[in-house]
Amino acid sequence: MALHNVVLPNEDSRQLLPIPKKEAKLYMSFMYVAFISLFIGGLMGLLQVLVRSGNFTLPFGIGYYQILTVHGVILALVLTTFFIIGFQFALMSKTVGMSDKQRNLSWLAFWIMTIGTIMTAITILLGKASVLYTFYAPLKAHPAFYIGLAFVIVGTWVAAFVNWRQLYLWKKKHPGEKSPLLAFMVTINMIMWFIASLGIAVAVLVQFIPWSLGYAETINVLVSRTLFWYFGHPLVYFWLLPAYMAWYAIIPKIIGGKLFSDSLARLSFVLFLFFSIPVGFHHQLTEPGIDPTWKFIQVVLTFMVIIPSLMTAFSLFATFEITGRRKGYGGLFGWFKHLPWKDVRFFAPFVGMLAFIPGGAGGIINASHQMNTLVHNTIWVTGHFHLTVATTVILTFFGITYWLIPHLTGRKLTKSVNRLGIIQTIVWGIGMLIMSGAMHIQGLLGGPRRSDYSEYGGTEQAVTWGAYQMAQAIGGTILFVGIILMVYIFIKLAFFSPKGDEEFPIAEEEENAEPTPMWMENWKLWVAITIALILFAYTIPFVDIIQNSPPGSVPFDWPIGNS
Amino acid sequence: MKQHGKTHTNVDKEPNLKGTLISVGVLGLFIIISWVAVFAIFLSR
Ligand code: HEM
Ligand SMILES: [Cu+2]
Repeated sequence: MALHNVVLPNEDSRQLLPIPKKEAKLYMSFMYVAFISLFIGGLMGLLQVLVRSGNFTLPFGIGYYQILTVHGVILALVLTTFFIIGFQFALMSKTVGMSDKQRNLSWLAFWIMTIGTIMTAITILLGKASVLYTFYAPLKAHPAFYIGLAFVIVGTWVAAFVNWRQLYLWKKKHPGEKSPLLAFMVTINMIMWFIASLGIAVAVLVQFIPWSLGYAETINVLVSRTLFWYFGHPLVYFWLLPAYMAWYAIIPKIIGGKLFSDSLARLSFVLFLFFSIPVGFHHQLTEPGIDPTWKFIQVVLTFMVIIPSLMTAFSLFATFEITGRRKGYGGLFGWFKHLPWKDVRFFAPFVGMLAFIPGGAGGIINASHQMNTLVHNTIWVTGHFHLTVATTVILTFFGITYWLIPHLTGRKLTKSVNRLGIIQTIVWGIGMLIMSGAMHIQGLLGGPRRSDYSEYGGTEQAVTWGAYQMAQAIGGTILFVGIILMVYIFIKLAFFSPKGDEEFPIAEEEENAEPTPMWMENWKLWVAITIALILFAYTIPFVDIIQNSPPGSVPFDWPIGNS
Repeated sequence: MKQHGKTHTNVDKEPNLKGTLISVGVLGLFIIISWVAVFAIFLSR
């Protein structure tokens, strides 16, 4: 530590710290919750596709919307958040370190999140909160559902403060140096998450909890939905950015290459911070009561996110090509062959990247107002996010799992688990191709999402959906096999693989890389621009929404909320 | 050591990124084609 060289600003970010056993236990705790969630959520997914095929009825009076709520909450909110927070802690520990005090606080974060999760889960399982993961008013769940969610969010805030503190202390010890790339990225993601989750915290604390407890008679529905989507879009970037961390800073190491550009990676993260939050209206394009001008402005801001997305794509292709050419593969696409196709740490995230091509294209379609009217609330949307979150993000997280779990448990990723992982990835890819493909088509034919099996009174249009619902059942069943495989792999890596040292792969910069400009570290400026953009995009329409609201709504705990 | 001397001492020529250029181009094309296809459906309904 005392030896660091002042001359080379790039030097320090390369020093990787060991992860002590005590910390490994903490990170593994997050992973246990994540993989238990994967199993439960996947089981619900299987039940959903079976029900929707028309060939299966849920036993014991369990409702379709009850299992759909379990599926959405436990996969989109619990699995993702626990995996991300655990993974990010590991990244911080590796690059900037963690003190004992920080570790204790992190345990506190873990327990607050876990208690909240258990509260929410029990409420849903008892059938007291079949309100789906978006919990739109005026559907009313049991108050414990909202209180549990509030706990989860507060827990993530504790984690965010710890992460910021970790970087702050490191910077104090290393004056004038740029922060390690991965620590920079984690900090950006947690700033975005914190600012975004304030919206949902306000909705839950000010609106939902008093209303569900009966203290407030009515709720302003449009305000609650607007606050939800102020949070809901950055939520998807909160999932995606940790995958990008792996793509930018870990995958190059796995394929035997170097970081393509430290500055480009940082700049793209800063742009994601700017353009992830002031865009929630693109989920509310069909919402009456929001001025179309402001919808248009937020759609324009949404499209800005294409810039860092294509920067990311460019950077990845360039990493692959440069590495391949360096290894002597010539020709226009010869470099493609060098990629380590048999290494699941690469292969799983790579399939995730592939899925992001149609996923991203679909996203641009969704955000275009005209076409949103075509796909809004259809199962196309479900097909879209099973590509983005349930394939791109999840396969990248699986790719991380293969080395992170053995690294934390002091074991090895064996050849046989690696092979099983390749099979898992292929199974997932095929299952998703079928399920998501069928969802996209059925959606274009008008098939609704969030729908129990129905023949819709025998209308002709509904008849055209049958084959696609059947295809979803087939794809979904294949996916469930993928989930079983992955849970098996996780257990194997956590408890039964042979002891050893598994590498924590972090890419290095080129020897002759251009130095990263120090203005990248201008945190105050980044936060100020982010807030300015949010205020610009939301202030006027939000005041308008409040001033011109229709009367609020009393709670409805039927037909599906809490009955 | 000043920034300059360090960066350009043994830099080989700019890396060849032709494949990357084409790949990103194809990606952009795919996005545009998908968009236009769905827009056509919108117009036809
Ligand atoms: C076995 C694997 C999976 C299957 C078979 C499956 C199936 C489904 C189906 C059929 C729906 C739509 C139901 C409807 O709209 O009526 C759905 C919704 C959803 N799925 Fe999955 N899924 C799987 C995995 C995942 C994963 C891994 C994630 C996220 C990480 C995920 C996130 C979601 C979300 C957020 C919804 C929306 C829930 C809502 O509309 O409230 N799914 N899933
Ligand atoms: Cu969005």
